[in-house]
Order: sequence, then C-alpha cells, then structure tokens
Amino acid sequence: MDKQVTLTIDGKLISVPEGTFVADAARMADIDIPVFCHHPKLEPVGMCRMCLVEIGRPIRDRATGQFVLENGQPKIQFLPKLETACTNRVEDGMVVHTQSESAKAGQKSTIEFLLTSHPLDCPVCDKGGECPLQNLTMAHGAGKSRFLYDEKLHLEKRKPLGELIYLDQERCIQCGRCVRFQDEIAGDPVIGFDERGRSMQIMTSSEPGFDSVFSGNTTDICPVGALTTADFRFGARPWELEEFPSICSQCPVGCNITINTRREAAADGSMVIKRIMPRQNETVNEIWICDKGRFAYHYTESKGRLTRPAIRKDGKLSRASWDSAIKLAAENFAEAGKNFVVLASGRLANEDLFNLKSLADHLKGDAVLYSEIGGGELTSAIGISPDTNLGEVGPGTTLVVIASDLYQEAPIWYLRLKQAVRRGATLIVANPRQTRLDDHASYVIRYAYGDEVKTVHSLDKKNKIGEAFTRSENVIIFYGSEGLGVEGSAALASACAKLLNEYGFAGKPNNGLVGVWQRANDQGAWEMGYRVEADLPRFLRGKVVYLVGVDPAGDDPRLAKALENAKFLAVQDILESATSELADVILPAQAHTEREGTFTSGERRVQRYYPALPVLGETRPDFAITAQIARQAGFIQEGTSVSAAFDILSETIPSYAELSYSKLAEVQPQWPVVGRGDLYYGGTTYENKHGLGAHLTTTASRGENVHILRVHRESAPRPQENELLAVPVTRLYDRGTTVLPAKVLKNRIGKATISMHPDIAERLNVKNGGLVKISFDGHSGEALVQIDKTIPAGVVTVPRSMGLAIHEPVPAKVK
Amino acid sequence: MSLLQKYPAEVKQILSKYPADHKQSAVMPLLYLAQRENGYITGSAMQDIAETLDMTQTEVAAVVGFYTLYLDKKEGKYRMQVCTDLPCALRGADKFLQDLCGNLGIKVGETTSDGLVTIEAVMCLAACDKAPMFQIQSRDGLEYHEDMTVDKTMELVAALAKSGREVA
Amino acid sequence: MSLVDPVIELGRGLWRTLSSMFERTVTYQYPEHKRTVRPRFRGRHVLKRYDNGLEKCIGCSLCAAACPSDAIFVEASENTDEHRFSPGERYASTYEINMLRCIFCGYCEDACPTEAIVLGDNYEMSYYTRKDAIYTKDMLIEPVSSVNQTTPQKTPTGVFTRSVPEMKDAKD
Repeated sequence: MDKQVTLTIDGKLISVPEGTFVADAARMADIDIPVFCHHPKLEPVGMCRMCLVEIGRPIRDRATGQFVLENGQPKIQFLPKLETACTNRVEDGMVVHTQSESAKAGQKSTIEFLLTSHPLDCPVCDKGGECPLQNLTMAHGAGKSRFLYDEKLHLEKRKPLGELIYLDQERCIQCGRCVRFQDEIAGDPVIGFDERGRSMQIMTSSEPGFDSVFSGNTTDICPVGALTTADFRFGARPWELEEFPSICSQCPVGCNITINTRREAAADGSMVIKRIMPRQNETVNEIWICDKGRFAYHYTESKGRLTRPAIRKDGKLSRASWDSAIKLAAENFAEAGKNFVVLASGRLANEDLFNLKSLADHLKGDAVLYSEIGGGELTSAIGISPDTNLGEVGPGTTLVVIASDLYQEAPIWYLRLKQAVRRGATLIVANPRQTRLDDHASYVIRYAYGDEVKTVHSLDKKNKIGEAFTRSENVIIFYGSEGLGVEGSAALASACAKLLNEYGFAGKPNNGLVGVWQRANDQGAWEMGYRVEADLPRFLRGKVVYLVGVDPAGDDPRLAKALENAKFLAVQDILESATSELADVILPAQAHTEREGTFTSGERRVQRYYPALPVLGETRPDFAITAQIARQAGFIQEGTSVSAAFDILSETIPSYAELSYSKLAEVQPQWPVVGRGDLYYGGTTYENKHGLGAHLTTTASRGENVHILRVHRESAPRPQENELLAVPVTRLYDRGTTVLPAKVLKNRIGKATISMHPDIAERLNVKNGGLVKISFDGHSGEALVQIDKTIPAGVVTVPRSMGLAIHEPVPAKVK
Repeated sequence: MSLLQKYPAEVKQILSKYPADHKQSAVMPLLYLAQRENGYITGSAMQDIAETLDMTQTEVAAVVGFYTLYLDKKEGKYRMQVCTDLPCALRGADKFLQDLCGNLGIKVGETTSDGLVTIEAVMCLAACDKAPMFQIQSRDGLEYHEDMTVDKTMELVAALAKSGREVA
Repeated sequence: MSLVDPVIELGRGLWRTLSSMFERTVTYQYPEHKRTVRPRFRGRHVLKRYDNGLEKCIGCSLCAAACPSDAIFVEASENTDEHRFSPGERYASTYEINMLRCIFCGYCEDACPTEAIVLGDNYEMSYYTRKDAIYTKDMLIEPVSSVNQTTPQKTPTGVFTRSVPEMKDAKD
C-alpha cells in the first residue's frame, strides 16, 4: 500500500499516493489544472508553463526542525512566484491555489504567449474540434492579443516526417510530448528537436522518415494540430464522425479501438470508415495502438468484397440464392463424413469458431486452424489467468521472450514489456538474431536456429540467468515462430510449458505461457479445441473442405494445387481471393466491422467488438451461415443472436465459464483519465464506455491437474556447412490480406526482402539492395537482398506473407 | 571511410574518457572530429557516429542542430560574422551589413558563389568601441577586424581571394 | 334608435368599400414587376470567389456545424499549386445544401471565416423532387466572369499559402 500524502487543493482536502505530481493529484480530485506538455504517462519537463499555480508549503524552523505554527496550524509559505504543478511532487500539508488571481493571470499569459505565432488555422486544421489548445484558450485565454501581428513566424506548413505523419511547423508549440513519447515510451528516438529558442522545430533523420511503428500515437498526444496523419488528412471534422467501439483485428494483442465513420460522397453516400483511434484499456493496450492497427483498416472496404452467394455451374461461378448455396454445402459436408475438414483462421470471432467446431464434431470431421504456430492447447492449460496485468508487473516477475520479434509481431506487447523492465521486472530475450527488445532486456540469449528447445532447457541452469528465473515469484513466457514451423513451435511450447509447470509458474496471476500468434483470434481457436496441421497440402487432398476466413491458394502454390485436387470446396470469406476462385460454393461473410462478436486476445482476454458499418450486400455473419448449414444438416446451432451463441459457448468451453456479453461490457474507471472532456490531459484517445473484457481461466488456475505431453522432434533443421538455411520471420507490414489494401502503407510494406550476413553476401556475390532469385522446397521467387551483420552465418531470413511461401526452416539456394 | 577507420587512435582515446555504459557522452568530441575533417558535418558522418555510439541518427542530428557552431552544410572558406548587437547597431552596423551583403551579392546566412565568404549576423563580440566590426573564422583560426567600412571590407575580401591567406 | 341610423351605418360601410376602389394598390404584379430586395435579405446561398477567381471556401465545415437544421454537407480535400481551388491547403471538394432543410437563418454566413458562403438575393427556387432540392457545389458556386478565372487553377508556388485572410484590423 503506497504511503498516502494529504494536501489541500483549492480548499479541498485530498489524499494521494506519495510521489504524485500536483497536476495529477488535482486531476484525481476532479480539479482542473490546464497542461500542455505534461502527460500522465511521460516524465514531466515543465516546458509549456501552462500549469502555473500557487504552491505553499508548511515551514519548518531551521533550528528545531518543528513546524512553525500560526493559530495552532502550520504556517504555510507561498513562494513569491508561481510554480508548475507538473514538476512538483505532493507533500504533506501542501496548499495549492489554482484559481487565485496570480494563477489565473499566469495561465492567461501563457496562452497569450503560445498564441503569438500560432497560425489562424482552426478552420483548416484537422485537430479543430478536438484540440486542447482551442479548449484551453476558451477556458483560460484572453480575448485579444497584444503582440505585433507582423512579427508572426512563417514556417513550413506541410512537412512530411515520413509519409505517414505530417508536421505543421507553425502550429507546433514545442511542448515536446512527441519527442518524449518516442524516447521514453516507444524507445525509438527517431524524432528530435532541431535548433533552439524561437527556432526550435521537430525533425527526423531516420530513413524512412519517422521510422517507428508507434508514430501514429504522437498525433493523439500532440496538443495542437502540428502532427497529423496523412491517412486522415482533411477526412472530416471530429464532430461529424460517429464513434463505434471495436477490437483491432491485426494481431493477437487485441488493442481496443474506436472506429470513426461518416458518409462519403465518393462512396455514393454510404458510410465509410474515416479513421481508427485508440480506446483506453489499461489492461491491454493502455492508450496506444500501433501504426498497423491505425492505418490498415481499408481491407473491409476494398472493391473485392464478396457480396453475393455463388455456385459453380459448368465450371463457372454464377450467382445463386442463399438457400441453394447452403443446401449444396450442407449436402456435401454431410456425406463427406471423416473427409470433412473445417479450415478456419484467427480472423473469425469466438462464436464463429465455436459453431464451426461443433459442426465439424457433429459430422465427425476435422477442425483445423490455419496457422504456422503450434502448441496452443498448452496455453489453455497453463496460460495467463485472470487478474494478470502486464501493466503492473515489476520486481519479482521475470518475462521471457523466446523465438519472437515482438516489435514486429505484437508491437504493443513490446511496449508493455519494455515498461515492465523500467518498473523493475526482469526480461530475458532469447532469439537467434538481434531484435529491438534486446536493448531493454536484462539478459539476452543468442542461440542458433534449431536450438530452441535446448535453450528452454537451459533456462534454469546454475548461472545468472538461471538464478533470475528460478528465484522469481512470477514468470511469463512468450513464445513465437521466429525460424520455426508448426512442429518446431509445438516442441518449443511444450518445453516452455513443462518448465513453467515444474516450477509452479502457472495457475496464478502474472504467470503462464503466451503464444505470439499470427492472427487476432488464434487463441480463441485453441480454446475451442482446434488443432494445426503440419503438412496441410497432403492433408487436404481429396477432402471436402469448408474454408472460412483463409486464403491458402494465395499463400502457397502447393496449397492451391492441393485445393484443386480436393473433392469439394466451400469458401466463406469477405474478400475475393485465389481460394475463392477455386470454390465450388461461395458464402459471403460480414467483416468484423459490420457485426458484433468477440475476440480472444493472446493474453486470453475476451473482448467484445461492435458493428460500425451497415451490412454489405447479401452478406451474413459467419456464425449464422454455419448455423444455417447445421440446420440443413439436421441439427440446431444458435445462428441469430451473437449473445446467445456466446452463452452456449460459455456453457460448453470450461475456460469461458460464467462469462456473458453483459459481463464483457462492464467498465471501470481507469487512470489516467482520457477522453473527449479531458483530451488536453491524456490526449485524444477515446474513453472506454463499452467494456474492458474479461480474462479466461486456465486448467491450472481452476485448480485442475495439468498434463503436458512432451513433444518429440526428430531433429531440428540447422544451418549446414556450405548450405544456406532459409528461416521464416514475421514482419509487421506484409502483403497479408488485411494489410495490403492500405495504400498509405505501400512504402512501408515494400518488396520482399531477405536478409543475410555480409560474408554470405560476398560468397554469393550479391550486393545490398540487389535482386536475387531464391528457391526452396520446390518454390522460387524474387527478393531484394539486405545485408545485415546481425544475421547469423549460414542463414537467410525470409519474411512471411510477402509472396515467398515459406512455412518452416528449409535449405535454400540464392542466385 | 568511417571516422573509426580513418582515425582509430583518436576515436578510441575519446571513447575511453567516458564510462562504457554512457558511450553517448562522446558524441560532442566525435562531432568536432567530423567537422574538422570536412569543414562541416556530413550526413554520412552523423550516421557513422550514430552507429559507433548506439544512438539513432536523429539523436545525433538533434545535437548538431542545437549548437550553432556545429555546421551541417558546407559554408564558405571564410565565415564573416558581423556583430549586430545594440552598441554596434547604434554605430551603423545594420546598414553596414546590408551594404556588405549587397556588394557581395548574397543575403545574410548565404555563401558567395565562389565559396569564399559566408556572411553571418552574430551577437556581441565585445569590441563595441570599434564598431562596425566583424570577426573572420576559418580553418586557420579567428581574427577580429575592427573599425571597418564597406570599402575596406571589400578590399579585404579581394585580398583573401587572391592570397588565400588572411591579411590583418 | 331611428330608422335612419342603420342606413347611415350601411352607407358608411359601403362608402369605405367604394373609396377603397380608388386607393393606390400596394400589390406588385409579380412576375412582371418584382419588389426590390432589401439589403440584408437572406435568399439562396452563393459560394463566393476572390477577384482572381479562386474560391473563398476552404472546406472547414464551420457552416455545417453552425447550421441549426443540419442542411449542409461538406467534404474537404487538399489543394496543390498545380490544381488549386482555393488559397491555402484545403478546399471543399463536396459542398451540398439541402434547401428543404435550410431555414435561411444566415448562421452559416455568420460562421464562415472567409466570407465564402453568403445568402444572396435569389428567392425563386422550386424543385419537383426531394433529390433536386439538394444543391451541389456547382450550383452554388458563383459564376466566373472570364475563362481564366475558373477553378481549378495552376498557380505559382509560395503565393497562395494562407487559407484565412489576414484580418489585420476590423475593417479588413
């Protein structure tokens, strides 16, 4: 329990934890101290001077050390000048006046100074309507300015800091929130101050400019319209936008977002998503989202949306009615029996995955998750349990990240772990090559590709790392798929799980195993009992396949061939794809922006998302389509109400017990306070009024016995002499279905690039940036070469989802 | 060629002055080195220094931008820094500067097309009784030129161009 | 009461009627003769231009925000010097007013920071369908007097950089 300090602000007696700044203490007591440069999540700098208040402290006698009393109370001495509330910590007996004559005069003068060169841009500024400077000027500013208009600064108005963020130099009030955010929170100091005094401006020297995946967050915390996104430039005024709470569908973190929509003339008057903004959830993403979640939302509005059912007649796909499409699908599924396969992905909601699994079970078929990471069943047994909060872990907790580049795969987890280290947690990063998280790790383990399991087994050896590990109170292990396929990751997961179970790091808060999945709801699929298939092409031949939310044909030519040789293909998806071209029946589904549902994040938190756009064409929600097929096949599933479907789910799957839609919609007051009324304090993040979600229980946390089978792996591929091993790695911006339609990210997605050590490049006679042909496992493709001395010898890293169909480490040839 | 490769001993000596976990403190001496090399700090020098000290190029650029004496673009061989502070201004320094610029055909802050002279306006140089005056900074050092007129200055410039050395 | 009184009253009334036949009429023979419009008359909206032909409207949506009946729909886009509609960075690429919703209050005119939208003198508007009542930008924009004043224009760089006129004093 933190020591509490009592002080008086504006006559109100309040008690706050020791070490709180006066500005934050006032906010906690609902008293308004205006700030610009102060942000509750950043270190204070006292740059803007907006929070000037009168602060008085009780005086002590120098000789005796006792309080000097006046009328029985300690005498309060006020300094002759105003002090900044953001840099002063609270003290017992402090007295603060925020509304006295001098404080008000100070606030008024500061606004006057800030407006001396601030341009008359409100009508054309994207921030107008949600601008802290506007609001505070109305509240605290003078009506007129006394400064000479002719001496106003004229600077560059539309300077791109990189192609995603624009800087307007005239509007910048030099508060430094953006630079400090990038430095302290994001850990990417790629923007900085140029010059000083009156000429101080923000600049970037990275290549590409503002090279950080968190760059969009600076536009939220910028108190004026100096930093704006290129994506939303002149999109709409904030008061014209409608807001809908949702969950990001790009990665397993499950950031809470708000979708802003408006009608658009270019779309013939239909509603269109204008921008994605973060929504506060201190247990998941705090008030941040990464750039992929912020800018890659265009796929749901892409022209290639499937809107009408279709059936293949005489070799061609032709429009059909829903009834005939469902009937055809159900007939084929029912008579397939054991040959029926459901191939689903983590793009679907929990309710959809549940109905699909129950259909597969009923028809005695197979439910397969389309993923290259195995071991997920262990996360339901020994994963993170309720009351875990990565934002609170500190000394005594060890976080292990193995075989995963969190900055690329789950950026917000990278942020959370980095901040945990700052609070005193121990971070062990084990990876075959250097990643950004290494800079913040307490211990870095460098192992060779193929030695993952060996490394896990060595985590409790008698050395510094082993001691840190075994002596911790809590351990969370994040495992990924860096250089691994299905088998390799399953073996890794099993080794990690066994280790955690052995030492009792399971079943209690802040302990467990987390998989860094490829898609948003992979965890949900694992909870429902799906499995992954290591050799998918062989498995799919001759089967009756129900493909939901997957595009195997577009990902890998071998899978395309396997699907061509399948007996019957039913494709249920939102976008046209290479797979839908091969379908026998097409069932058009609704995107997650058009319906309600839930996702289970990688931390095993179930969160609700709400519809933001009206239904398109004749699409139906995935769970409804599956239920209609089930009804046709002779059994009942819930296909009308998502909430009822979730209730059935919660009764069936033990980890979801006692959860319901109303429970998921519960909110709690969160700190810091952000949102429309307080946007000068915390930024323009939306407040969370629609639900914080709930954590799932694990087998371990329910007190049941956990059985972990050791997964044997014959031998892991290792880099051989005179041979090149191609290993799969994941990049944040790739040519995935949900990312590619975002044109604003085109340069960041770039071309397929493979990385290798300079020695290997020399041996192969390739230059940095040169175009080569890489072939492995029967595939070949073109790629650009990047020379990187942090890549181990004998290895070439190949990015997933960039047109090179790599699933696991394989020997390769490069020309 | 990188600084580390060209002056290995000097760079090592600089780095040895600072604790190993505070390598970034060596950024300023290394920037001096880079500026000595080319007369200004090139982009590749900044990249070089950033890599050596585990900083981002932006952080190094921010240090360069903060200090006026770290130059990030090529300036003239002789930097003519004219004092325009109050006492000099009272003795006609503003007009002096304006006429000088006009004669040389450039604006304040710019360099002549032959790369010889850059004109800058600076703060008090502590020669108030000898105004208008300026100082010339070059690779050879610093020289004050006091009680100047436009004609005397133009003669000086011509002499500099011819001899390549300073004339007192 | 005598027998003459009602006749006198009747006569008074009829005299009133007869005399009014010779009074000057105040009726205007519309549409042949139209009454002059008063100076502050609020009629059909016009989107004004500057003298050089650039549009005054900068697409800020303040008129839409001020409108009490939500009659205005504005979408903004970016100006470039090759393709310039208005001075500054921003112009209205879509500007529609629903005349059936409009109550001709003039709040939009008051809200406009560049004096782009003004309520003019035209009150003769009629439409047969609701769709025709939605006036688009090409119907609202002031016509140009010469061909090289149409927008979009190609302008030299660095000249038209300010969106909002520099109001240096109250008369500006």
